[in-house]
Amino acid sequence: MAAYQFKLPDVGEGIHEGEIVKLFVKAGDKIEEFAPFAEIQTDKAVVEIPSPVTGTVKEVKVEEGEIAIVHSVIAVIDAEGDVADQEEDQTTTEEPASAEPVKEEKTEAKEDNKTAKTETTSNKKQKVLAMPSTRKLARELGVVITQVTATGEHGRITADDVKKFAEGGSTKSAEADEVKLLTEKTSSADVAVEHEITGTEERLPLRGIRRTIAKRMIESKRTAAHVTIMDEVDATELVAIRKWAKPVALERNTKLTYLPFIMKAVIAALRQFPTLNASIDDEKQEIVLKNYYHIGMATATDKGLMVPVLRDADRKSIFDLADEITDKAVRGRDMKLEASELKGSTFTISNIGGYGAQFFTPILNHPEVAILGVGTIKEKPVVYEGEIVARPQLFLSLTVDHRLVDGDVAALFLSQVKRLIESPNLLMMEMR
Amino acid sequence: MVVGDLAQEVDVLVIGAGPGGYVAAARAAQLGRSVTIVDKDELGGVCLNRGCIPSKAIITAGERFAQMKEAEEIGLEVTGEVAVNMQKLMDWKNSVVKKLTGGVGQLMKGNKVEVVTGDVFFNAKDAVRVVSENASQTYKYQDIIIATGSRPFELKILPFDGKRILSSTEALNLQEVPKKLVVVGGGYIGLELGTAYAKLGAEVTILEGTKSLLPGTDDKLTRIVSRKLKKIGVEVITDAMVQGGENKGEEVVVKATVNGEEKEFTADYCLVAVGRKPNTDEIGLEQIGVELDDRGFIKIDDQCRTSVEHIYAIGDCAGGALLAHKASYEGKVAAEVIAGQKSAIDYQAMPFVIFSDPEIAYTGLTEAQAKEEGYNPVATRYSFQANGRALSMNQSEGFAQVVADKETGLLLGVQIVGPEASSLIAEAAFAIEMGALAEDLSLTIHAHPTLPETIMEAADSLVLRLNK
Repeated sequence: MAAYQFKLPDVGEGIHEGEIVKLFVKAGDKIEEFAPFAEIQTDKAVVEIPSPVTGTVKEVKVEEGEIAIVHSVIAVIDAEGDVADQEEDQTTTEEPASAEPVKEEKTEAKEDNKTAKTETTSNKKQKVLAMPSTRKLARELGVVITQVTATGEHGRITADDVKKFAEGGSTKSAEADEVKLLTEKTSSADVAVEHEITGTEERLPLRGIRRTIAKRMIESKRTAAHVTIMDEVDATELVAIRKWAKPVALERNTKLTYLPFIMKAVIAALRQFPTLNASIDDEKQEIVLKNYYHIGMATATDKGLMVPVLRDADRKSIFDLADEITDKAVRGRDMKLEASELKGSTFTISNIGGYGAQFFTPILNHPEVAILGVGTIKEKPVVYEGEIVARPQLFLSLTVDHRLVDGDVAALFLSQVKRLIESPNLLMMEMR
Repeated sequence: MVVGDLAQEVDVLVIGAGPGGYVAAARAAQLGRSVTIVDKDELGGVCLNRGCIPSKAIITAGERFAQMKEAEEIGLEVTGEVAVNMQKLMDWKNSVVKKLTGGVGQLMKGNKVEVVTGDVFFNAKDAVRVVSENASQTYKYQDIIIATGSRPFELKILPFDGKRILSSTEALNLQEVPKKLVVVGGGYIGLELGTAYAKLGAEVTILEGTKSLLPGTDDKLTRIVSRKLKKIGVEVITDAMVQGGENKGEEVVVKATVNGEEKEFTADYCLVAVGRKPNTDEIGLEQIGVELDDRGFIKIDDQCRTSVEHIYAIGDCAGGALLAHKASYEGKVAAEVIAGQKSAIDYQAMPFVIFSDPEIAYTGLTEAQAKEEGYNPVATRYSFQANGRALSMNQSEGFAQVVADKETGLLLGVQIVGPEASSLIAEAAFAIEMGALAEDLSLTIHAHPTLPETIMEAADSLVLRLNK
């Protein structure tokens, strides 16, 4: 017997933390090598982490709902047999253990992007042991049955297990308690007005991408001091230059939208106002100024908002950016983006122009400190050279984190963006 | 649409009134939808009219006739002549079919499902045209379930003529017992009908293109059936590649290459049963973008949805196992999904039954399949020769075999060849659905003396083996 320090394996390229969705064991339990130990929620999916050794669980250092950091010790297992050299052993056992589920996660995402089947099966013996009526109940409650912890004999999932999972009764973190409190409040309110409800309602568990979005948004709102400023931009020349470039783009099979132009204007302005291309390291109380420009692009998908990242956008041509935007938007909608393509942005652009809205108040893509909301382009009566004329106007909304960016800087940044869009020729002057 | 043609608006339309379609129609109606069902023929589809039911009637007649001839074995002396009156047999068979189709009619009526007769053709994503002998009507629907089934596959070199060269449809309507019958295809349809007619007195030859009868079925099971076929005088020729055939008026000559040798088989009838093909080619599916697979089956997801919204497909035309009970299961799923329920195709065990002599039935995994799936399987069997009821029925050929996982004891599959195997398999499918261990089968009291005891006994030995 030897105490084995089970460190959270690297579950995917560059993902350095994950939410523990479910623990399959508790202290005192016996566990077999490769048997499921925990389920980890990453940005994209739930990945099952198998136990690296056979033995008795001595201590579980994480709780369900907790965020665990990769390579941190999540459990101590009294391993059977010799686990002689801990350091060496880890490098050898962890790799296959982590590589496998991630691979499966990808193929599954490819095969099935319509239903959010995020379960992974690391070995085939994990056939679901549940009566047909229980499987039906799971479908009705919107529960992915493979994620349910079985309490029945021989790993059988009971109807109660499914109900408990649907209620989310097994989460214990402080945050979950808070959520619980909230639901308790609303449910008592529900009771009070019960007799007034005439329609039906549907209850779905908050899981996967939607849950991640919910968490991120609250985290951002809670941490940053959001301030939004808005402005109208004369888009006459932008419209003209895009119209002129469109047939050229078509020749190289490029779908040219306004977005790459706006992106270029943003990057030029960011160079001038570096505090908008930055973040705050709350822990160390430091400001991190970034000398690279990875632009996040908020993209709507069936499952919810995703933000694919265009890396080093400052070093790419407008055409190249246009191609990359099309590619990432399409793959984003098909849920085919790699986890690595969804992280690392330094500034985000949220474009809702296609839906006709003008101004809005974007929420920061935390820990970034600035986000540009792009509205629609439409003709409006404006005063131009002393006359009231109809000219195409573009509507911009810039949210900044006031902790780092003051109002004057934000306004100067936005006016620089505005200047560059109103005279796209200037973009050429900014070329490097 | 023809000028002046007023489309009739319906809620749910079901095309095909077989065991998939009529079950779907009834379920959808029970769940509050208003349903119209269309079929070009009688209610009940192939199953009731030209498949399961009539074939079982003929098989039963053959079985009883054979038993009467063997009655002496158990001390019954038949003094008069036992003869087959084919006309009466067919009348009785037809009366069985009529009772059941009448029952389907009642079921439709009871659920207020409107029944329409005619050929269906899609002319839009939300409309079909139904053409009957003297009328034509367009129906616009909210949701549609395609349940058009399948039909016998025709060999180009040996096309059906309905007189001497028969598909299963005509073979179920013969007005005389063939003196000689050549069956092309040793699958379950050819085997079932070949055996039945052999028992009714025909001299039967089965030509199978592959190495064994019932391709795809565990050969431990088919071996018992092959032995019995030999006993009742059915000649089975494997590796026989049929090259063609000719209706010569009073007889039919079938040519085949057997082991590189050209051979001719003369008979008064030839039954061609070499598989079935989906009825998806003549209803205009390609026009509205419903995706088919490369064999012509409609692609569906686990909720019976096709590639086009509001269009669902179930049963044979949607591929998978071509089984009436699978069609009915999917019919319920599709109807429930249409009614807004979260149903899905979600089963662990599909029962397969073959009405050979003795019967074959199996469900779940065989030992070999279990190994492929990563289990460490153990299989044990129990012979009907040691079963009191089987012996007292004078039908003791065959065995029941139970397959379970060595580590967990989880029941993975059951294979049976023997008397009433088709009924016995129900317990096995249920046990697998419930996630039973082999031990659960062995701990369940089975009445004595009955055939199902064999399953319990096989499970018993398996448990003993696991505990060793």
